[in-house]
Amino acid sequence: MHCNSNQHMIGRRQFLGDLWTGLGVTAGAGLFAHQLGASEVARRGKSIVVIFLDGGISQFESWDPKSDLETGGPFKAIPTSVPGIHISELFPYTARQMHRMALVRSMSTGLDDHGLAKNLVRSGRTTRTATEYPELGAVVAKGLERPDFPLPGYIRTMASGVGGRGRDAAYLGPAYASVSIGAEAGGIRNSKLPEGVSPESDQRRQDFRRFLNERHRRRVEAPEIDAYSQSFTQAQRIMERSELFDISREPETVQASYGKSEFGKKLLLARRLVEQEVPFVEVSHDGWDFHHNNFEFHLHYVADIDRPFAHFLEDLTQRGLLERTLVIVMTEFGRTPKINAGYGRDHYPNAWSIAMAGCGIQHGAVIGKTDPKGVEVTDRKVDHRHLFHTYLRAVGINSSGHFQIAGRSFPIADPAYGPIKELLA
Amino acid sequence: MNLESTSTAAVARTFRPQDAKLTHDWTHTTRLLCCRVDPNGRYVFAGATDSTIQRWEIASGKQTAFVGHDNWVRTLGISPDGQTLHSGAYDGRWLSWETGAEMPKPLRSIQAHQGWLRGLAVSHDGQRVATCGNDKLVKVWSAADGQLIRELPGHPHIPYCVHFAPGSYDLVSGDIVGNIIHWRTEDGSQVRRFDLHEIFSHIGDLAPFGGVINLSFSPEGQRLTASGLHKVSNAPAGARRAVAVSFNWGTGEKLPKQECLKKELDATMWRALYHPGGMMIGIVAKEIGFWNPGTEDVFHLSETPSEIFDCDLHPNGIDLFTAHFDGHVRCLHCAAG
Repeated sequence: MHCNSNQHMIGRRQFLGDLWTGLGVTAGAGLFAHQLGASEVARRGKSIVVIFLDGGISQFESWDPKSDLETGGPFKAIPTSVPGIHISELFPYTARQMHRMALVRSMSTGLDDHGLAKNLVRSGRTTRTATEYPELGAVVAKGLERPDFPLPGYIRTMASGVGGRGRDAAYLGPAYASVSIGAEAGGIRNSKLPEGVSPESDQRRQDFRRFLNERHRRRVEAPEIDAYSQSFTQAQRIMERSELFDISREPETVQASYGKSEFGKKLLLARRLVEQEVPFVEVSHDGWDFHHNNFEFHLHYVADIDRPFAHFLEDLTQRGLLERTLVIVMTEFGRTPKINAGYGRDHYPNAWSIAMAGCGIQHGAVIGKTDPKGVEVTDRKVDHRHLFHTYLRAVGINSSGHFQIAGRSFPIADPAYGPIKELLA
Repeated sequence: MNLESTSTAAVARTFRPQDAKLTHDWTHTTRLLCCRVDPNGRYVFAGATDSTIQRWEIASGKQTAFVGHDNWVRTLGISPDGQTLHSGAYDGRWLSWETGAEMPKPLRSIQAHQGWLRGLAVSHDGQRVATCGNDKLVKVWSAADGQLIRELPGHPHIPYCVHFAPGSYDLVSGDIVGNIIHWRTEDGSQVRRFDLHEIFSHIGDLAPFGGVINLSFSPEGQRLTASGLHKVSNAPAGARRAVAVSFNWGTGEKLPKQECLKKELDATMWRALYHPGGMMIGIVAKEIGFWNPGTEDVFHLSETPSEIFDCDLHPNGIDLFTAHFDGHVRCLHCAAG
């Protein structure tokens, strides 16, 4: 029995497009067709690295410290490398990188549920329809796509192992969905041929698989087959380049400079991937949901990210990579100005902050302002939709453009919004 | 017959938490983290998150602010003669004050630790002050001139609390990952360690949660009791249970846990202290638990309107003062009539 819903029809055609992309044929010919040339050059080699602090870091204990004693908490503000900009004393190393960074202190997003808020900041949309929107990583993977590029366009770093594809590309299709890869010594696990299987016999095996797939595909319209084929191709390409994911190939001094933490290793892998011009890399750091004991936990959690993050920016700079890489420190919402009876802070989407560094933005900029207690945005209120446009523009993607997929036109970002122009370089 | 023991026995007979009634309720404008009653029974002091120490004259309720710290005031101690108040705060400083000053000003300010100062204790004779802080150090100071006598490295993680052993310069310190170290401060040596790792857990392998929050000795010095939390099911949400664990000070033997089973409460036992008569008092969320050493459950819980972060007994052995999240200092008179 066939289901002929529009969603499925789109799915079939989009997967066909994905297959062609995998074979080196540019899918969605309408995409960016109107702006090739200079802008194509502008996008070339650009990357975005998102540091996702899962759970919701407190803006008071990071980018928007307050001296008000009732709401500000016990951590002080410290000066940074940009005169006049202060951040929490928990970030002494990052403070020295502020001349490469920008802050948005006027985020107001309205949703305080983890899942919904994550979807919101990742997709740049407030979804009230049945349409699922692709996440930033998938959009960037598509927007910065090069036909000859051998690696996935959207890689999520993990502590170890290899995960499957994420379900985060929506109508763009699985070719642009995230691939999770571990940051560990030795590279990707299980990526070598088993003993007794020669490259030649493996090639014959793969040829036979392709033959069967293609024969079956001619008889059956099944987007799953296309997805599987694309995944096989992608996996083979990754296996051929397994050494790129092996952080132990870095000199010991470099490994040491990123530290021994899981986060430091993920950042080191991210730097290696940026060197390879992977369009989008995500480095997550989990657990920032301190309804209880907020200050004690921030003391330890921020200490885990501050030094490796600052070193990451320094390393990208030294290698000339930061000028073509946008780094975003993202989270799903902020934390309440009110300190609860467990000395925690609860979810607060009304006035919070995001930090950025690197290419396409005004370094040392601070966008927006909150009141002295951090309760309300008092200047230049923005939300996830403005930020989504801004991220894309910073790496040369025309966020006002459309994806042309299977005859349908999809705005790349929410067309009712635009970038934060004063933040763009 | 010994006068002191007669007096202690009388206090023990009179102390009846079941008959407790609220006799004082004073308010400050911000959260309170700690409190101490001066040994002469004139004042109660509380450390606040507006960086001040608040003093209330117990007889009149007159409130006076001690201004000098630059961050949350986390710990207080008073010399045995009641003349000098010592305070430690998240600014890393140890300040000394005249307890009865009309216009209080710090007598001395010492940058004792890098990062937060977490715990402070005064020796039995008032001659020494011990502190600990985020720099993982325990330090012993001369109370008379503020000179550093001994720096005691050895805790692998942040020490929360220090306490002098009764009648001695020996010191115990407890840290955030459940180590208790017995120090001989005269020569800086470690005498022994007590393992209480069962009362801490990690979240995400990054942040320790729990540990030895507070230490106290029984009146005769036979038992050392640590309080804190255990049974953590969701640290960021604060899902845990309050606990106190005691050791035989002589043998080091671990004694049965006190878990406050009477009521399911997500709580940390911020302080457990001994009544001079031997009974134990522990603060558990908004409640004060009372139990007899050796029993695992409380025999009585007194509920208060707000979370309690510290408590101290008046020298009369009957009035129990508590410092609360809502900025109140409350006094429960624990006797009939």
